[in-house]
Amino acid sequence: MAHAHKVKQYRGVMDWLTTVDHKKIGILYLAAAAFFFLVGGLEAVLIRVQLMYPEQNIFVGEAFNQLVTMHGTTMIFFAAMPAIFGFMNVAVPLQIGARDVAYPYVNALSFWLFLAGGVLMNTSWFLGGAPDAGWTAYAPLSTTAYSGFGMDFYVLGLQIAGIGTLIGAINFLVTIINMRAPGMTFMRMPLFTWTAFITSVLLLFAFPAFTVALVELMFDRIFSGNFFEASKGGNVVLWQHLFWIFGHPEVYVLILPAFGIISEVVSVFSRKRLFGYSSMVFATILIGFLSFMVWVHHMFTTGMGPVANSIFAVGTMAIAVPTGIKIFNWLFTLWGGSITFNTASLWGISFIPAFVVGGMTGVMLAAPPADFQYQDSYFVVAHFHYVIVGGVVLGLFSGVYYWWPKMFGRLLNETLGKLHFWTFFIGFNLTFFPQHFLGLMGMPRRVFTYLPGQGLEEGNFISTIGAGLMGIGMLFFLINIIITSVKPRTATNDPWDARTLEWAISSPAPEYNFKQTPLIRGLDAFWKEKTAGNKEMTPAEPLGPIHMPSSSIMPVVMSIGFFISGFGFMYKVYWVAILGLVGALLVMLWRSLYDDHGRHIEVEELQDEGVKA
Amino acid sequence: MSSQHEHTAAENHAHRQEGPRNHYISFALSIILTILAFAGVVYGGLDRGFVLAFIVILAIVQAVFQMVYWMHMKDRGHLYPIMFIVMGAVIAGIAVFTAVYWMWW
Repeated sequence: MAHAHKVKQYRGVMDWLTTVDHKKIGILYLAAAAFFFLVGGLEAVLIRVQLMYPEQNIFVGEAFNQLVTMHGTTMIFFAAMPAIFGFMNVAVPLQIGARDVAYPYVNALSFWLFLAGGVLMNTSWFLGGAPDAGWTAYAPLSTTAYSGFGMDFYVLGLQIAGIGTLIGAINFLVTIINMRAPGMTFMRMPLFTWTAFITSVLLLFAFPAFTVALVELMFDRIFSGNFFEASKGGNVVLWQHLFWIFGHPEVYVLILPAFGIISEVVSVFSRKRLFGYSSMVFATILIGFLSFMVWVHHMFTTGMGPVANSIFAVGTMAIAVPTGIKIFNWLFTLWGGSITFNTASLWGISFIPAFVVGGMTGVMLAAPPADFQYQDSYFVVAHFHYVIVGGVVLGLFSGVYYWWPKMFGRLLNETLGKLHFWTFFIGFNLTFFPQHFLGLMGMPRRVFTYLPGQGLEEGNFISTIGAGLMGIGMLFFLINIIITSVKPRTATNDPWDARTLEWAISSPAPEYNFKQTPLIRGLDAFWKEKTAGNKEMTPAEPLGPIHMPSSSIMPVVMSIGFFISGFGFMYKVYWVAILGLVGALLVMLWRSLYDDHGRHIEVEELQDEGVKA
Repeated sequence: MSSQHEHTAAENHAHRQEGPRNHYISFALSIILTILAFAGVVYGGLDRGFVLAFIVILAIVQAVFQMVYWMHMKDRGHLYPIMFIVMGAVIAGIAVFTAVYWMWW
C-alpha cells in the first residue's frame, strides 16, 4: 500500500454488511435470491408430493393453502425480483462504463430492505402459520374475516420489501440516464442495460399501485378499515384492479431483464452482432408501455361486460407483436452464426422455444370466451410457469453461467453445468407440460386433492416426477458452486470472447471498475475495439485519483428499524411499531446531517495494482 | 455525459439572481390561492358544484406552480423529469379512470 487511509476499511462479515459497492450488493442480492429460490422450490416440491396421487392426506386444507401462497409470493418477490436486481447491479454499471450506481448508499438500503421484508414474511412459518390467501391475496379472502394472522406477514413483508424495490428502480433510472461513459449514447447501450432501464420504469410506475393496495389491506386488517368491506360501502374488486395494475407490469419486470440476458448471450455465443438491435430496443419500450394497458385480462370473469373484456383482449394480443419481433430477432441472430453450445448458451437458446410455448398459451388466454373456460384451472398454472420458469428462470440461469466469471473470477464447471441444465430443462417440461391437459380436463388450481378415476392420475404423477427432477438439477448447481469456489481464480478478463464493456476489465472487476473511464465508439463497444486490434478500451480521461463512496452500516440499521416496526404493527404493540420507525427516521436524519465525503484511491495505488495484474 | 449540467458561468449567475425573486412570488401566490380556496369553502353561500370545481382548479394551478418554480421544471435540462412526470400522469390517469369507470359507473 502506497497510501495510508483515514477511512476505515472493514473485513469479513462486516465488509458485506457495510458495503456500498454495486458488485458486492449484486452478489448479496443473488445469494439471497438463491436462498429464497430453494425455499420456494422446496414448497413447490411439497405441493407436488401432496398432488402425486389422488386423495392424499399429507398437506390438507390450510397447510396446502399456505404452501401455495408462500411458493408464489416467495418465487415472485423474493427469488425472481432480487435475482433481477442482482444482475442489474452486477452488470449495468459495468456495461455503461460507470464506476458505481448513482446512489451507492441507497443501493445498499434497497437490498437490506428487501431482505428485511423477505425474512419478515418467512418468519410466519414459525409464528402461527404462513399467509394462506394465494399470492394474489384477493379481498375479501385476504381480510380478517376469512384468513388468519399469516396475511399480516404478507402485507407488512411486501410493504417493506416494496420500499427497497422502488428506490432500487429509481437508482437504476438515475444511473442509466446520468452515468454513461463518454460516447455511450442510448442507442449504443447493451440490450441488458436497455431492459434494466425499462424494467426500472415499469417498477417506478407500477409499484405505487401495489403500495396503495397493501396500505388499504393493512388498514382493513389492523385498524378495522372498510376498503374491501362490501357491507360498509367498500368494494372487493378494487383490490383486483390495484393488484393487477401492479401485477401485470410486474410480470414484464421479470421477463424483460431475462430478454436482455438472452440478447447478450445469444449474440455472444453466435459470434454475431444482435440482429435488429434498434427494433429490439423499440420492442422493449413498446412491451413496457403496453404492459400498463392490459391488467383487466386477469379479471375477465369479474363481470365487467363485453366492452371492457374486448378492449383488453385486443391490447393483450397486441403485446404478442413486439414479443414476436424479439423472438425472430434472436432466431436471425442465431441464423448463420458460429454457435457455441456451452452451459450459458444452452440455457439461453432453450429459453426461446420454452418461452414461445408460454407466450402462445398467453394469447389463447387473452381471448375472453376461451378464458372463461381456462380461468382458475391448471391450464393457467401451466401457462405462467412456462413463462416464468421457461422464460425468466432459464434466462437467469443463463446469466448466472455467463456472468459468474465476472463476479467471482472463476468459471463454473461445464460438465456439472450441462447436467444441471438437462435435468432442470427436462424436469421443467415434465412438470408443466402435462398441466396444460390437466387444466383442459378440468382440474382447478389451488385445490389440494382430486378424485381417482377422472383421468387426472397420470398427469399429476408425471408432473411430480418432473418437479423432483428439477430439484435434482438444483443439487448439481449447488455442487457446482461448492466445487468451483474452492478452485483458484483463473478466469481471464474475457473468457467468452464477448462484446460488451464489462469484459474489458479484470475478472472479478476491481472495486473502482474502470481505472480510466472508457471512450465508447459504437454498439458492442469492446468488440469494436477488438476488431480494431486493440486489447483494451481507449481511455476517455487521464489517469487520476478515483473518488469512492464510504462503507456504512446505516442501511442495515435502518432496515432493522423497519423490520421491528413491522412486528409492532402485526402484534398491535404500537410503541414497538413507533420505536422501529423512529429508529429508521433517526438514521435518515443522521445521514442528512453528517457530511461523508468518501475517500480517494490515489494514482500510485492504481499503478501498483497495474503492475500486479 | 451530462449536457444538462453544462451551464455557463454567466447563466449560473443569472440563475442565482432571478432564483429567489420568483420563489418569493410563487410562495406568495401559493398562499393567496390557498386562502381563496379556503374562503370559497367557508363562505357557504355558493353552489356546491361551483365550489368543488373552483378549488380543484386552484389546486391544479398550485401544482403547476410547485412543478415550475420549486421543482425547476422551467429550467434547461429537465427533460427527463418532465418526460417521467407526464408518463406517470398518463398511466395513472388511464388506470384510475378505467378502474373507477368499471367499478362504480
